[in-house]
Amino acid sequence: MKIVVTVKLVPDPNAEKRIDPATKRLVRTGVETVLNPYDEYALEAALQLKERIGGDTTVTVFAMAPESLKETLRKALAMGADDAVLLSDAGLEGSDVWGTSYAMAHALKKVGFDLLIVGGLSDDGSTGATPGALAEYLQTPLVTNARKADVADGKLQIERETDTGYQIVKAPLPTVMTTALTFGEPRYASLKGIMGAKKKTIAAMALADLGLDQSVGAAGAKTELLSFAPPPVRGKGNVVEAADGATGAKAIFDFLKEKKLV
Amino acid sequence: MQNVIVYVQHKQGNTPKVTFEMATLARKLADQLGGKAHAVVVGAGSSRLAETLKSYPLDVVHVNDDADVDGFLLDPIVEYLDAAAKAVGPSLILVANTLGGKDVAGRLVARLGAGIVADATDFKIEGGKVEAVMPKMGGAAITTAAFKGGAYGIATIRPNAFAAQAGGAGAAVQPIEKPVGKSYAVVVENDVEEGTGELALEEAPVVVAGGRGLGGPDPFETMLKPLAKEFGGAVGASRAAADAGWVPYSLQIGQTGKTVSPNLYIAVGISGAIQHKVGMRSSGTIVAINKDAAAPIAEFSDLTVVGDAFAIVPELTKLVAAAKA
Ligand SMILES: Cc1cc2nc3c(=O)[nH]c(=O)nc-3n(C[C@H](O)[C@H](O)[C@H](O)COP(=O)(O)OP(=O)(O)OC[C@H]3O[C@@H](n4cnc5c(N)ncnc54)[C@H](O)[C@@H]3O)c2cc1C
Ligand SMILES: Nc1ncnc2c1ncn2[C@@H]1O[C@H](COP(=O)(O)O)[C@@H](O)[C@H]1O
Repeated sequence: MKIVVTVKLVPDPNAEKRIDPATKRLVRTGVETVLNPYDEYALEAALQLKERIGGDTTVTVFAMAPESLKETLRKALAMGADDAVLLSDAGLEGSDVWGTSYAMAHALKKVGFDLLIVGGLSDDGSTGATPGALAEYLQTPLVTNARKADVADGKLQIERETDTGYQIVKAPLPTVMTTALTFGEPRYASLKGIMGAKKKTIAAMALADLGLDQSVGAAGAKTELLSFAPPPVRGKGNVVEAADGATGAKAIFDFLKEKKLV
Repeated sequence: MQNVIVYVQHKQGNTPKVTFEMATLARKLADQLGGKAHAVVVGAGSSRLAETLKSYPLDVVHVNDDADVDGFLLDPIVEYLDAAAKAVGPSLILVANTLGGKDVAGRLVARLGAGIVADATDFKIEGGKVEAVMPKMGGAAITTAAFKGGAYGIATIRPNAFAAQAGGAGAAVQPIEKPVGKSYAVVVENDVEEGTGELALEEAPVVVAGGRGLGGPDPFETMLKPLAKEFGGAVGASRAAADAGWVPYSLQIGQTGKTVSPNLYIAVGISGAIQHKVGMRSSGTIVAINKDAAAPIAEFSDLTVVGDAFAIVPELTKLVAAAKA
């Protein structure tokens, strides 16, 4: 079985983000690029499934990102993925969610898969819409928020979290699946994994390989970014020392009353 | 993009509050665009829910009690919405930014070849163009994006960001035809409601969150829950509290948990690590109770009370209860 995992390369979510007021862009100096956290969970799910299914099951990671970020993908290989595909092209720059999924779907069709595992949310784009758009373009089912998955008789049996509980669903292959964070904590790359990753292949793909009918990148985008600004400064508010419970409670209560929150 | 269509997510007719927020928003946007406000309600219990929706300022509520919607995952909903969008014509489609909503929105992006704005907290219409305001990167940036034209646009809507207001002339309830000749791939074998009957964290107007400072599971039940209840809110937690097994992971707020933006966030015994901050920093008002004046949370709280949570919270609960009485 061939499992493919999409991995977005994003500015480190743990870094304090700063926006340059002059350029209205994210200050990237000193901010490392990392694997999108949700995608590490997706990869963990793929690796667990590979261990469980065994046989000739393989895990390929796929990213659409500038060529310069290629080495960041090694982390996924060090965690245990077998190989990687990187779709890079100047013509993809400025793609919106529609263009990203349209281009990615065409590339993933070429890569081929039985199971495509996509992260639930990217830290920078944060639409959560990519998995659905990919499934639609790839004409496969979509099963999101899986916390458990198994393959039996060529079908996927998935336990998934919903807004109000959970469901057990059965899906044919190929399918697009996303994982909930409860699927399992992403593993650390072992020293052996890190060494081994250096020898694994990262295949390159470009726009010309996809044969798209519609233009992507900034020109083809269906939405445009008008502004990107820091949030209104949330300055340090009042700090009140409370001698006892009643004083502390009253300080909060009075404040909430003033704000019309009680 | 001239009409507005609201996708109404529900289970057996029970729908989250964000539905009514979207119904109210749809009217406003449709008036500015010079179009009509529609809602699509499908699945068991739809007719009952449509009766409630009638008192919101919509023009047409499209209804089908089709049980297949509940028996199969997602596909039937996408088929209905696709059909409704094509019948209504160029529209902005509003979908709640919930787990289930995102799936529907994503499928529609490709189905309709449409742009999407995600997690919108405000809208502006400029010369017929729809612009949306969206906090990104855990609130580190506020972005504005516009649709560049196109017949359809999708917007996912952040719960609690818009006011719900009943009223209006009363919508016409119309049956919507079941799309024919469609096959649905994913069978729902078991559908379990973990019906605590409690408010979903992302929906709650007030969140009272606890951290390692609470020392164990009991204070979440005996101290935070009663306070949350007085506010009509919900209890959340830091990762330290979830990791310790004091509360389920479903209550965790932060980078690897939920993102919440209630009107009021009360952090009790939480230090305010960056990974926690990104899940709650866009809350309306933030109050912290911490015995350490130097805790990082004081840097981004509107009010920090330095003191013992075990002494303060019960007193606060009493004050809020008395104010309501
Ligand atoms: C990759 C990654 C992802 C993470 N994701 C998340 C996430 O999603 N969410 C999250 O929350 N964390 C996350 N963390 C963990 C985060 O870094 C912090 O460790 C965590 O938020 C700390 O939780 P806490 O504030 O409850 O505990 P602590 O940092 O231990 O703080 C406890 C606080 O309680 C106060 N206190 C103690 N006793 C009392 C009392 N009686 N009354 C009042 N105050 C008292 C203390 O002064 C202290 O400030 C993540 C970390 C990593 C590395
Ligand atoms: N450029 C990309 N390369 C690889 N995967 C991506 C890319 N963009 C989005 N994804 C995948 O889609 C998921 C959801 O992203 P988003 O819709 O941006 O929230 C991510 O967790 C990734 O798995």
